[in-house]
Amino acid sequence: MGDDMVRLRKLLPAAFVGAVLAYLYAPIAVIVIFSFTTSPRLSMPIEGLTLDWYTSALSNSLISTALRNSLLLASVSALVSGVIGAAFAFGLVALKRPRLRASLLGASMLPAIMPLLVIGIALAVFFRLMHVQQGLLNAAIGHVLVSLPFVVLTMNARLETFDFSVLEAARDLGATPGRVLRDITLPLIRPSIIGAALLAAALSLDEFVVTWFNIGSQLTVPVLVWGLMRRGIDPSINAIATMLLALLVCLVAASALLNRKKSK
Amino acid sequence: MSSSAAPAAREQSRPHASMLPAAAFYIVFFALPTLCLFVLSFWTADGFQLIPGFTLGNYEKIFTSPLYRALMIRTIGVAFVTTAIVVPIAFAVSFLMRFVFERRGQFILQMVLLSLFSGYLVRIYAWRTILGKQGLLNSTLQWLGVIREPLDFLIYSNFAVVVTLSGLLLPLAVLPLYSAMLNIGRDDIEAARDLGAGRLHVLRTVLLPMAMPGVRTAFAFSFLLSAGDFVTPSLVGGAQSLLIGNIISDQFRGIGSNWPLGAAMAFVVIAVMLASYLIVMRLIRWVTTW
Repeated sequence: MGDDMVRLRKLLPAAFVGAVLAYLYAPIAVIVIFSFTTSPRLSMPIEGLTLDWYTSALSNSLISTALRNSLLLASVSALVSGVIGAAFAFGLVALKRPRLRASLLGASMLPAIMPLLVIGIALAVFFRLMHVQQGLLNAAIGHVLVSLPFVVLTMNARLETFDFSVLEAARDLGATPGRVLRDITLPLIRPSIIGAALLAAALSLDEFVVTWFNIGSQLTVPVLVWGLMRRGIDPSINAIATMLLALLVCLVAASALLNRKKSK
Repeated sequence: MSSSAAPAAREQSRPHASMLPAAAFYIVFFALPTLCLFVLSFWTADGFQLIPGFTLGNYEKIFTSPLYRALMIRTIGVAFVTTAIVVPIAFAVSFLMRFVFERRGQFILQMVLLSLFSGYLVRIYAWRTILGKQGLLNSTLQWLGVIREPLDFLIYSNFAVVVTLSGLLLPLAVLPLYSAMLNIGRDDIEAARDLGAGRLHVLRTVLLPMAMPGVRTAFAFSFLLSAGDFVTPSLVGGAQSLLIGNIISDQFRGIGSNWPLGAAMAFVVIAVMLASYLIVMRLIRWVTTW
């Protein structure tokens, strides 16, 4: 009886965490599995396996346009928010006053707490008042804004262990600021910056809400998928979603690996 | 970054200079647009034309319309229920990762966070295929002979909206709660236990107060973000479970749109949500100090 109690006490946490992970991953598993099954309706029992949904997804003429736009936006947000976010975090951790540092970090997180709907419509209003037509540029700015807090947050966590005395030593030895940046700072923090930039790319590939209010009549993969979803149950959605998922998982895994290497 | 200032001044100004591009970006594309949205909420629209002015008419319309009031109340209700599910589960998961699984906790954290990046639209759509009338859950239960007729409360209902939103927001709530748990030492808990405190007492007097910053952020995340989501109700909710976000988005991309009215709605939602948030935080503080 006592043994059973001990075993139960060990098993219960694992069962709970397992159930939570199942809750988080069930939807993803369903999409991936049903992208390969023959029955167009997602129901049990599974009748057979096929790659037809992938061929029909790839033969959709809009998908290549959507994919090209999505990749373009992802590259822009990776580059822009990677660079300005890293620079911001670098300045942040170098600040001497902890109160100021904490409040600036908090302020830079605001776009992450604001509902995306509000960010999206606020940008749409801003661009309209500035007489800027909706389009890819507007969406790109939205994507940078949405990914910036996450870049700042991860870079800030990485840089907290950064040894600033190395830079002072280099300066004492007569290195110019440009030289310090190029020869010491950048090589040291490059993996973290690339990791954060990949995260920004993943967020951008997946972004829908802000895009929807700002992109006008252009397409991205999520905007295309939204159109298909609104029309009803189309199994090629599962195929497109699975391909998008694969891309996202690769980006996030690469980002995590790069960040781990830095923190060894 | 490059500066030719004197060395003494350089210590102060260098970090500030590298922060400039992002700070400028935030001001121009976040602060300014939010201000524009606020100003627009006092304008009027004539068709697609925006007419500058100053009127409280939009706000008046929102507060006097029974439809908007009903939607607002439903939105607060859904946000509260979602948060009441998400925050305790995230708290428990974070606690277990920190104090029970220790090493493997890192791996579980990675798994939880990975799900955050696995397709926002995809996950919502997946819940529709799971909960649908002829969806996975119903067809499996019928196949197994548990039920004869499909359960129809599963989809196009508040239930579906809450289940889907909770799944979306759970990883976001784990993030701040886990980092708050990292600041709590095993000693803090053991000391209280040694002094004879029961489990609930430790939770109330040690864990909750020490994890409070994390609780606050997790609460804000799930409460504000679930109140602003319009994709979930439009994909898994029915006519009876539309939220205020659906109406706001219609004001901007629907037929017969009205941008100034939509802007006013957005600010009413934010104000109501912030007020509710502050009230709940007060309540939690009251419980933990009493």
